[in-house]
Amino acid sequence: MIDEDLVESVLDVAMSQGRPILAEVRAETIESSDVAVKSGVVSSIVTSRDAGMNVRVVLPTGIGFAASNGLSKAVGAELAKRAYMLARNVRLKHRVEMAPEPPVRTDWEVRQDKPLADVSIEEQAGFLKRVDSAVAKSKVKVEGRFFEVRTTQTHGRFANSDGSRISSYLPRVRVDSALVVTSKGESEQSMREFGGTGGWELVDGWDLEKALVDEVRMLKNVIDKGKAVKPGKYDLVCGPEVAGIAAHESCGHPMEADRILGREMSQAGKSFVKPEMINFRIGSEYATVVDDPTIPGSYGYYAYDQEGVRARPRYLYKEGLINEFLTNRETAATLGCLSNASSRSETYIKEPIVRMANTHVAAGDFEDDEIFGSVKEGVLMHSFTEWNIDDKRYNQKYVSREAYFIEDGELGLPAKRCALEITTPGFWGSLDAVSKTVKHNAAECGKGDPMQSAAVFTGGPMMRLRGVYLK
Amino acid sequence: MSALKDTAEEILGFARDAGADDAVVEVFDHRTNQVRYSNSRIDASNWWSLTHAHVFVAVGKRTLSTDLLDMSSSKASVESLVRNARLSPENSEYTGIASGKFKYRKSRADPRIVAMRSPTKHVHDAISAATREGAAEVGGTLFIRHRMAGIASSGGALAEDESAALELSVRAFSQPEASGHALCCTHKLSGLDARMTGSRAGQMAMLAKDPVPGEVGKTDLIMEPMFLGELMNATTMMLSAFLVEVGMSMFAKKIGKKVASEEVTMADDPTMPSFSQKAFDHEGVPTRRTTLIDKGVLKTYLHDTSTAKRFKTKTTGNSGPFAPLGLDQPGVPLAFHPAVEPGDWSVEEMIADTKDGLYLNNTWYTRFQSYSMGDFSTIPRDAILKVKDGRIVGAVKNIRVSENMLSLWKSIDALSKSTEDVYWWDEVAPPSTLPTARARGMNITRSS
Repeated sequence: MIDEDLVESVLDVAMSQGRPILAEVRAETIESSDVAVKSGVVSSIVTSRDAGMNVRVVLPTGIGFAASNGLSKAVGAELAKRAYMLARNVRLKHRVEMAPEPPVRTDWEVRQDKPLADVSIEEQAGFLKRVDSAVAKSKVKVEGRFFEVRTTQTHGRFANSDGSRISSYLPRVRVDSALVVTSKGESEQSMREFGGTGGWELVDGWDLEKALVDEVRMLKNVIDKGKAVKPGKYDLVCGPEVAGIAAHESCGHPMEADRILGREMSQAGKSFVKPEMINFRIGSEYATVVDDPTIPGSYGYYAYDQEGVRARPRYLYKEGLINEFLTNRETAATLGCLSNASSRSETYIKEPIVRMANTHVAAGDFEDDEIFGSVKEGVLMHSFTEWNIDDKRYNQKYVSREAYFIEDGELGLPAKRCALEITTPGFWGSLDAVSKTVKHNAAECGKGDPMQSAAVFTGGPMMRLRGVYLK
Repeated sequence: MSALKDTAEEILGFARDAGADDAVVEVFDHRTNQVRYSNSRIDASNWWSLTHAHVFVAVGKRTLSTDLLDMSSSKASVESLVRNARLSPENSEYTGIASGKFKYRKSRADPRIVAMRSPTKHVHDAISAATREGAAEVGGTLFIRHRMAGIASSGGALAEDESAALELSVRAFSQPEASGHALCCTHKLSGLDARMTGSRAGQMAMLAKDPVPGEVGKTDLIMEPMFLGELMNATTMMLSAFLVEVGMSMFAKKIGKKVASEEVTMADDPTMPSFSQKAFDHEGVPTRRTTLIDKGVLKTYLHDTSTAKRFKTKTTGNSGPFAPLGLDQPGVPLAFHPAVEPGDWSVEEMIADTKDGLYLNNTWYTRFQSYSMGDFSTIPRDAILKVKDGRIVGAVKNIRVSENMLSLWKSIDALSKSTEDVYWWDEVAPPSTLPTARARGMNITRSS
């Protein structure tokens, strides 16, 4: 637990420096472990305990942010003074404003059935070795096998000059796998991530000994039986993983208000979306994309964001219309609205910026098999390998990891490295059916400078795009 | 500064007293000031400081690392680390740490960078210069970094290191879809030329005006150092022996084989005076220049002591951190400062010699569908200029380079005689010294 008096005293120092519009103090302790197994051998084990704090001071003429490891009144006072000095030196000619927020006093935490603190390093390594052994015994030639499990437990204490006082506890676990399957002189790769907030019960639920054996068998099948797609127009059915990456890349990112307003212009870029484009049609009536930090157990879960704003679902695209941007207090003030709690930072050492949480295509009313049952000639793309998108979030590419031809509504042989290269309106405008069942995948979203990794879910149901060009 | 070396030695003593057979302690003191700006004005001024230690211990083949962020309780923490190491599973691949009588270069940071307190003037200079060239909006970052490290190991490493850097990034927009990007990365205050960097970004933005959709098909690419730096990110990663071991490298089983054109000689050289100069790797081995590709032939992978023993060779002094440092994975050999040897072309000669091609300022989002084969795509951004019959004739947009990385390196037929130090965000990384390069007949795709 973090000493509440410490945070209060640092906030007092921050408020005593000039006349800030807003001052914030965040203190964190982070217990983490990282165990890796490479081809059956425990290749690295790291356990750490981090503790530190940051202070953000908002003056009418600038914002200053200072952070350091160490939890003490002396460290905090130094940070408060430095943040004020940094803000003062900015000397903006326009006035900085922050959207108003009511003060919040609360504690929140994520509960664990099997607390991460009770799972020893030996148990974690043993788990990875069992997964590795299952893959090694799969009768598939797996040239490279790498597995990693990471756990973090973050205690936080936040206080701001509006009167908010929030304590939090967030345990998070993640397993990564990297597998390279070879057959007949060819190879296919798979890089998977499984993650959530909670305890070790999440890991038990992923059943990775089965999931990753299925994965390498699937890759061998793609190599042995897969055929390239003859370039042309087809109907494309996207599985939840592909629906999710599209939701993240061509809806979530372009709807971040800091990008729309230009703050990321020299790094992640701007956005094709402009502030005046609320209610602009971007896709068909089936295109509804939600970003929801409140999904229990989700990898991107939080109850309150890093500015103390209560989290809620955000409908980014709604029935094909641009509906709501992701905002923090600064961008909300510029846009004339209230924050929708999108302020996140990787840890206390980095400034909070606008981020996604769990972004997914909303469910429709089709059964999964109905989605491809009416496809005469097409492809079902379950998952992807290579993907990218331009810095205005308009031109994207997804290359299949697992895909199958569809003929007269029936699934056929695997399609090998099927590529979709399409614009954002082209993607969402081609959508004509969405299934009932939403599935999620964990991912790390990169943004900010210095780079900050944010834990997120991507996801969606099965969805059908009519007449898109595949190659 | 010797305090860090002393601290490392003291913590090493705690580890040995607690029963560690091998130990490496690296103490860091990093201070960073960043000015972020966009829309031609400053958004925020950020500062952060981290003083911490990476501690690696081995009891037999049982190894364990930590990132020690609470330095006040280092003795108890290290004793606990050694206790926990005894309970950890064996790492059967562990073959010890580097040992010997090491000699280190002396390093010193530019005191004028360390003493900088109010860097906003340079940001305003860059914005003004880009605006004077015709830019409508300017954004970027200025980093002022001061890094100190001390290391001690049971293998005999005992050293300290210090560096300072200024990194200015300027992206200028002349129109919503027309931009130029320029960098100034230097280890000396006298090397920072904010006006010239801003002007260059502004000039590129003006050349990029009125872009038309690019054409699909094969064309020659003239790649500026930023563009090449993004490709170096993936290329040097796959030169790590670790990536070779896990099957995620196009360089596997290619030692002694041709992996690039004869024009290409590539090294990792953290010894050259630069903004990422480094005296020792994370095992405490003195860094050195290592030729990775010599006239197109692959000479070695990047190694630490353990991977070198498994590959029956010697460490190249590229041990990565024992605990995650930024996005670097623990225990993975990595490049510190890649450099491609310059050629004998001027950039103007390259353009004049190109009949049909593209001149590329920058790129991002390089992703692979197969690391083992090298199949990838990347998305050019900022100025994408059409070259026709030896002249720049306009700008294009919305293209993607969809290629094979080995094919690209093998297709390079010209390198500029001038080089540039580049480091930008998480894309053009690690810090590199690179020329402009021309690759023949590369594949361009775009959205249908």
